Amino acid sequence: MTTTRFHAPERLDEAIRLLAADDEARPLAGGQTLVAMLNADLLSPSQIISLHRIAALKGIEKRSDGSVRIGAMTTHAGLARSDVLRDGHRLLAQAAGRIGHEAIRNRGTIGGAVAHGDPSADYPPALVALDAVIEAVGPKGKREIPASDFFQGFLTTALGQGEIVAAIILPPSLNQARTHYEKFARVEGDFATVSVAVALWRGGVRIALGGVGPVPVRSAEAEAELQAGQLSDAAINDAGALLVAASDPLDDVRGSADYRRRLIPRLVKRAIRAAQAKDAR
Amino acid sequence: MSERVAVEFKVNGATHRVSVPATRTLMAVLRDDLGLTGTKNGCEQGVCGSCTVLVDGAPARACLALAATLPGVEIVTVEGLAQGDTLSPVQQAFLDAGAIQCGFCMPGMIIQATALLTENKRPSDDDIRHSISGNLCRCSGYAKVIEAISLAASRLAP
Amino acid sequence: MNAPGAPIGLSLPRREAGEKATGAALYAGDMVMAGMLHGAIVQSPHAHARILGYDITEAMALPGVRAVVTGDDIEFRYMGLVVKDETAIAKAKVRYIGEPVAAVAAIDVETARRAAQLIEVRYQPLPAVTTIEEALRDGAPLLHEDFAKYTKIYDAPVGRGNLLAHSIATQGDPAKGFAMADAVVEETYAIAAQYHAYMEPCAALAAFDPSGKVTVWSSTQSIFRTQANLHECLGLPMTKIRCIAPRVGGGFGGKSEATIEPIAVLLAKKARAPVRLVLSRNQDMTAMRSRHPGWIRLKTGATREGRLVARECELWFDGGAYADDSPAVMNFALYFVRGPYDIPNVHCEGHAVYTNRMRAGAFRGFGNPQMTFASESQMDALAKKLGMDPIEFRIKNALPKGARWFGGQAVTESTLVEALETARDRAGWIKPLAPAPLGKRRGRGVAAMAHSSAFLSTGAIVRLQNDGTIAVQVGAVDIGQGSDTALAQMAASAFQLPVEQINLATPDTDSAPYNSGTNASRVTFMVGKAVGEAAFKVRDQIIEHAAAMLGVTRDEVSLAPGGRVVVTGGSRRNAEVSFADVAARSIWAVGGPVTGSSAVMASHAMDKSHTKMSGWLSFEAVGIYTFGAQVVEVEIDEVTGAVEIMRAVCVHDVGRAINPGATVGQIEGGFAQGLGYGLFEDMVFEDGRLANPSFMDYKIPSALEVPKKIECVLIEKPEASHPFGARGIGEPPLVGAAAAIANAVANAIGKSITRLPLTPERVLRAMLEE
Ligand SMILES: Cc1cc2nc3c(=O)[nH]c(=O)nc-3n(C[C@H](O)[C@H](O)[C@H](O)COP(=O)(O)OP(=O)(O)OC[C@H]3O[C@@H](n4cnc5c(N)ncnc54)[C@H](O)[C@@H]3O)c2cc1C
Ligand code: FES
Ligand code: FES
Repeated sequence: MTTTRFHAPERLDEAIRLLAADDEARPLAGGQTLVAMLNADLLSPSQIISLHRIAALKGIEKRSDGSVRIGAMTTHAGLARSDVLRDGHRLLAQAAGRIGHEAIRNRGTIGGAVAHGDPSADYPPALVALDAVIEAVGPKGKREIPASDFFQGFLTTALGQGEIVAAIILPPSLNQARTHYEKFARVEGDFATVSVAVALWRGGVRIALGGVGPVPVRSAEAEAELQAGQLSDAAINDAGALLVAASDPLDDVRGSADYRRRLIPRLVKRAIRAAQAKDAR
Repeated sequence: MSERVAVEFKVNGATHRVSVPATRTLMAVLRDDLGLTGTKNGCEQGVCGSCTVLVDGAPARACLALAATLPGVEIVTVEGLAQGDTLSPVQQAFLDAGAIQCGFCMPGMIIQATALLTENKRPSDDDIRHSISGNLCRCSGYAKVIEAISLAASRLAP
Repeated sequence: MNAPGAPIGLSLPRREAGEKATGAALYAGDMVMAGMLHGAIVQSPHAHARILGYDITEAMALPGVRAVVTGDDIEFRYMGLVVKDETAIAKAKVRYIGEPVAAVAAIDVETARRAAQLIEVRYQPLPAVTTIEEALRDGAPLLHEDFAKYTKIYDAPVGRGNLLAHSIATQGDPAKGFAMADAVVEETYAIAAQYHAYMEPCAALAAFDPSGKVTVWSSTQSIFRTQANLHECLGLPMTKIRCIAPRVGGGFGGKSEATIEPIAVLLAKKARAPVRLVLSRNQDMTAMRSRHPGWIRLKTGATREGRLVARECELWFDGGAYADDSPAVMNFALYFVRGPYDIPNVHCEGHAVYTNRMRAGAFRGFGNPQMTFASESQMDALAKKLGMDPIEFRIKNALPKGARWFGGQAVTESTLVEALETARDRAGWIKPLAPAPLGKRRGRGVAAMAHSSAFLSTGAIVRLQNDGTIAVQVGAVDIGQGSDTALAQMAASAFQLPVEQINLATPDTDSAPYNSGTNASRVTFMVGKAVGEAAFKVRDQIIEHAAAMLGVTRDEVSLAPGGRVVVTGGSRRNAEVSFADVAARSIWAVGGPVTGSSAVMASHAMDKSHTKMSGWLSFEAVGIYTFGAQVVEVEIDEVTGAVEIMRAVCVHDVGRAINPGATVGQIEGGFAQGLGYGLFEDMVFEDGRLANPSFMDYKIPSALEVPKKIECVLIEKPEASHPFGARGIGEPPLVGAAAAIANAVANAIGKSITRLPLTPERVLRAMLEE
């Protein structure tokens, strides 16, 4: 019979030490996924390492180079109303505001959501579209992992044993972009059936899709097509088809794979047009 | 079984010191250890909202908060809203609007509404709908709930 | 009307609203007793398997575990409403994934759950049939080998494999009818399993007293059905079973029969301590009940002038692993095969089938929502074919007062035309809808519906208490719909007392007269009738006493507000006595305690010469029809197919609204539940396993999915057979909602979708195929 032990260290290195020493130990952030799993008996960790006391994981700051560093323990609600996120970076606030319900957003954290690696969740496509970087800290020190490499499969990330998501960094470049997060779900507060994060700027286009593959889906060809075709309807159609080809959706209760494929070009178009409608920068 | 952790927090103004297993949720502590059964268990997955309580003033799911992570916080449950025999304005409005049917969702709903009206003194119907969208009610169709919250807002308005 | 007292027609807050608002209200899962243990269940992982044995040693060895119960602890005793086919807990076989197969009682929930995981059940898997088609295949494995031996209260299709019920009915000459038709529409409608989603998962607390009598507090819609089921499956005499309903967090039909009470009692007995058993949401969704899924083939013919002349219906319901209410639900669906219309020639055939899936059972509407979806969709298809306005077409065929219902019963009142006309006016039906914004489509649809409110039997006891207040004892459980308040209002009205002076006793089989259950829209109607009749008996006795006390004749006194009896004429005019004075006389001097009781039974003769029926349950105890019409406006997103309900107008005939606020609450809630049924609720079973056993994956409407306003219009035409004029309104608001929505969607996209729910995916597909 396992006994679950509890720790709430104040220092990040202490948390990492505890986690690295025991592969049955689990970090706990907002608990909005982890505790639900405990309640459903899907998990029985040997230790729960609560991160809530670690100051280094808190706060959102704009750095001198224009990038934004978001501490892993920042809640969805905190992000949604943050005024540090401006212009193109609002994409992330927009995504945060669409997560679940108020009570969930009040406790759930970006670090926990990112570490969980659910491809239907709202942050992964948003972070990929914003070319964000995940700052992971582990027994061997700090790594900066581009979001597009971080998500590796269904509920699988690049995090190694004992590694913790310490922060999310949004590079300054895409702050200049016009961005939009389009989420389609069965009902408000549900995980996305399909979601689309777009960033448009003078030099390019980035699009990432949620809910249509084991990781956020991107297509360099589609982005090139859009760029070359200047976001015309025809270009969007072609890009939509390329994104469909790049996707790998499943049938589940949120929609069939076929439906998801149908939604991709439609929502991509909606997302692009919505992004264009935002103030040009 | 889990290691026991000692925590101290305030519930409805009173300080409680409890020793809880590491995996015990706030909902279980409130209901089973403190006998505050107003907080309801409708899903224990964070979806239904019937366990919603205020943690340091903000609505949170009691079913998804481990008690061990809450030292020093102030919790308000539905039992903490009335002043003696006088219902809180939100509770009274729920009665007056006839919003309460089976009542199982109502503790969470009333807490959520209380939080809304603290933040937003004059919510529109849409604000209300969004605010309570995470509180499922199978009886009412929400119409009278929305009415009740508007009524409470109008009574609270200066 | 007998008693034009003040409280009738007032929207009084629910009696128990205060305790519910403060969190003080106690539901079964909130109750505690000294020494109480906590239960947990073990569920079958197999859709069909033989149970070879159990290993409970590890579970029993866990500190804090007090008892484990398995099929070895019970005999082959069966319970059930129409077929006795269920044991208290699985024995010898399991028949669906999620079936409770063992249970444990321990000192706390955590320990009980952990112990449950340690119980080992050895199974020999059997081939399973998880769809109607599989269940009926030649040589399909049988769920119930002993079906022939079971007690059944209808003419069951014995020896026909997994077929549980097969009913046929014919009225008129359908072949001749179709020959007269100028337009015929035929379609097959598919319906999904809806989850009741009462917010309170099933819960029970069982405690034995030293005499060996068990008291069960449970989340139930019927204390007497609970008692009967416990009696049947445990072999306890009813003298040893007391069932009480504390506050109940919704039921909608799902708590009409036994839920987990038998298991709680078994645990309490074995552990020799009170046991509280509360299901998790996941367990409730996988172990309890759903609305019947299945399909309905419907064919209807009408003349060029728009007269319905014939209908044919073939209906198949998947009843799941146990019969529960299935034969009755299937029959009830057929009972509404004509909808609220006058169709002279009808042939229908219905089937309920056992499958290795969680049982389907009673659910608000009881088969009628499925049939109404099919029938009302078809009405629109026919209207379209005939080039007629859908409402006009319905009005033309409305069943008038004095007509016969399918089955031959008399229709004593019909408000259908009024309902349809009111809905038409209120919704502005003749005005075209405002054009849809770019990228959207708009549509409007109507559905008419009928439902019945009289059902089975009930009793009431009314007593004058010493202080002049009134005690009412009924077996009806208020599951949130507000019946306690409505009953108190009716009693108060009979005595011209304020409602505060009515004591409504907690439903308790030890003291309440029998009542079949809180279902079938029957409490206000049936129990209200019983309360009224008993109250009038008490009132008569009060008057009798008062007259004697005042030295006048009966005719010279009358009841006055506030519990008084006053002399109305003659020399002693204005002399009065109070109810308390009367009570004192009755208990200390003359006559004995003032008590009145009444028993009512719904009885509406069927007529075999009108409708020939075979394989049916008796429906003589069904009757009194209520009618309604709903108009819905939708807006559809062309990009995703998502449907938004912009407006809903619900017009319902309620007889007299005892409590208009609560009545409107029933309509709003019923419409919202029907909206979920129409748009997205769908228990997806894959090989018998529920793919969406949580609110995360199974969605019910939130405040954002219901229309901003549900406009309710009450048609109040007091029901003559009811002392206060009431009619039932619990179910009708749900019955037509999905159909009205489907018709609005069809109107918007020019094509009708014949499968529920109307998910965005189905709507988009239909739009793209145009
Ligand atoms: C009702 C409901 C609705 C929801 N709806 C949505 C939705 O619409 N969209 C959406 O995107 N999400 C949704 N979620 C999920 C929600 O966003 C969670 O908050 C989030 O997935 C997890 O964040 P958390 O802080 O709660 O993490 P926790 O639950 O504490 O942890 C989640 C996982 O990450 C690990 N972990 C936590 N923090 C770290 C870290 N810093 N480093 C490494 N590992 C870590 C944990 O060990 C655990 O495995 C919903 C959840 C609920 C209950
Ligand atoms: S019980 Fe916590 S949200 Fe449902
Ligand atoms: S009142 Fe019953 S669930 Fe809301």
